[in-house]
Amino acid sequence: MTAKHHAKNLSAQELGRRQFLTWAAAGCVYAGAPSMANAAKLLYPLNASKIAEKTWAVYGLPEYFTQENGGHIVNVAFIDAGDGVVVVDTGTSKRFGEALLALIQATIPNKPIIRVYNTHHHPDHVFGNQVFDASTIAATPQIIAALSRDGVAFADNLYRLLGDWMRGTEHVLPTVALESDSESIGDRTFSFTSLSGHTESDLIIRDDSTGVLFGGDLAFLSRAPTTPSANLPEWHDALDALEKMDRSVILPGHGPLDTTGESITQTRGYLTWLEASLRESVDAGLTMNEAMSVDIPEEFNNLYVVRTEFERSVVHLYRQFEDEILQEVEVTR
Amino acid sequence: MNNVAKYVAALSLLLTQTLFASSVLANDTGLPNDPFRSVMWKSIADRFFTDGPIVFDDRVRVIAPSHAEDQFHVPITVDASALNNVRQIVAVADLNPIPHILTVRPEQAMSFVGFRVKLQQSSPIHVGVQTEDGVWHIGGAYVDAAGGGCTAPAAMHGTENWMDTLGITRTIARRSVFDHARMTVKMRHPMDTGLAAGIPAFYMNELKISDTSGGLVAEVDLFEPVSENPTLTLLPKMLSAEATQLKVNARDTEGNVYGFMLDVPAAAQ
Repeated sequence: MTAKHHAKNLSAQELGRRQFLTWAAAGCVYAGAPSMANAAKLLYPLNASKIAEKTWAVYGLPEYFTQENGGHIVNVAFIDAGDGVVVVDTGTSKRFGEALLALIQATIPNKPIIRVYNTHHHPDHVFGNQVFDASTIAATPQIIAALSRDGVAFADNLYRLLGDWMRGTEHVLPTVALESDSESIGDRTFSFTSLSGHTESDLIIRDDSTGVLFGGDLAFLSRAPTTPSANLPEWHDALDALEKMDRSVILPGHGPLDTTGESITQTRGYLTWLEASLRESVDAGLTMNEAMSVDIPEEFNNLYVVRTEFERSVVHLYRQFEDEILQEVEVTR
Repeated sequence: MNNVAKYVAALSLLLTQTLFASSVLANDTGLPNDPFRSVMWKSIADRFFTDGPIVFDDRVRVIAPSHAEDQFHVPITVDASALNNVRQIVAVADLNPIPHILTVRPEQAMSFVGFRVKLQQSSPIHVGVQTEDGVWHIGGAYVDAAGGGCTAPAAMHGTENWMDTLGITRTIARRSVFDHARMTVKMRHPMDTGLAAGIPAFYMNELKISDTSGGLVAEVDLFEPVSENPTLTLLPKMLSAEATQLKVNARDTEGNVYGFMLDVPAAAQ
């Protein structure tokens, strides 16, 4: 990485933190900048931002996992559904789940949690499950199977990245396998669309009374998409489906509230460029390291953590493009 | 300058030299301090960088990610093309249970190699490039990694019958400049380290590239830490602008031999 590139990133980061504060401040309950001074005590500085009627988002920082942020990098949400509270995704760790639960109880006092959804099986979205009653946690059967398969490895990896923030964290599987298109919870009806592409199963949840779409990680906004479990053709199909869905706003898994559909066009644009870039590098015979250092176009260069995510994506995807593009030769044995 | 001032000046010069020397030499054996602070540095140097003086040299560029996204496939590119008369390139992962990754002898190739390695834990990577005068020019990198890259079975062992695809080879050769081509070869092979339970060591251990007249272009000795489906990028030198072919012969530790040809395009006009 060149010094010049580094300097560019820094200024983007600074610009970005201001922007992050604007997203968070757009919510009515926002109580100040998340203070990293709290990190010394390993407390997550969570704040609830109202995004629709009786609906709150808790925005994560637009960063990668670090021991400073404790994995406070993901958006989660909760909804007051009359009889109780509905939660969408639970965060990175047991501690995060505890902080989320405390925030919910402070925002909506004296109501039980009656449903928890997991939008997909990635660790930053499910490791707070532990603090909720497993009988309330719901996901697609594929998400449950994937978390069952990968949960231990995900926890190991996050312990390495986050250290003591992860104390006591274990994956807890959802017990409710969603097979239908919708369900009524309290005074609300939630519709489900089962898609894939970011992972093998990405659940889109729509609150029919507000039109809010909880997009999970199919659509990112202002933050580079991640690809450790990606299937790019399926992801493009999912974005097309998402675009056609009736909605008021989209809450992406990472980034600010999307009121215009920009998260869809931005994610589609980035994934299209990513694939083209990797194919071009494979076709030029570049090593992965060389492929990691190519220029990122202006339109994506301001996405948070774009260089980090691009480098990760090279490792995730390069070998499959090699298997397509490199020519098989006849081997004599 | 009076005598006292001269004495002070001489003393400070001496001190400076002493401090400088101690920052370069770790001990009286003449081994330079390792900028990557590897606890294994002396042992690695004694074992792999023998029979010549050792210097750390910025002309040995070792490009590796600071964090390994996948401990089974950590990409490393060594570019020592700024050095002339290179005899061999030796790459070592200090903290791997088997540290030696590969050795390249770039007979008629640029001093450059791209490969992927399995890491058992976060580790310094040292690459020694020995020139004909015997000097080892050392470069390196530090890679943070999750554990277990060398002791888990290859992904291939999860398939029905990995022997079906053994040796299937994909290649690409490109030429954007006159004086050298760029070739990448990827061969299906489990590269078993012998450290995964119940699976003995079985890896591609030799790869030789020759030109059409049989002249040696480069030889690579591969070892257990090279990633499954070894993928090597090399830069063979080219003497003419015309399209040509390169011959590759590889061999694994069970004595299987693999031979194939690679078409190298003509230099762009």
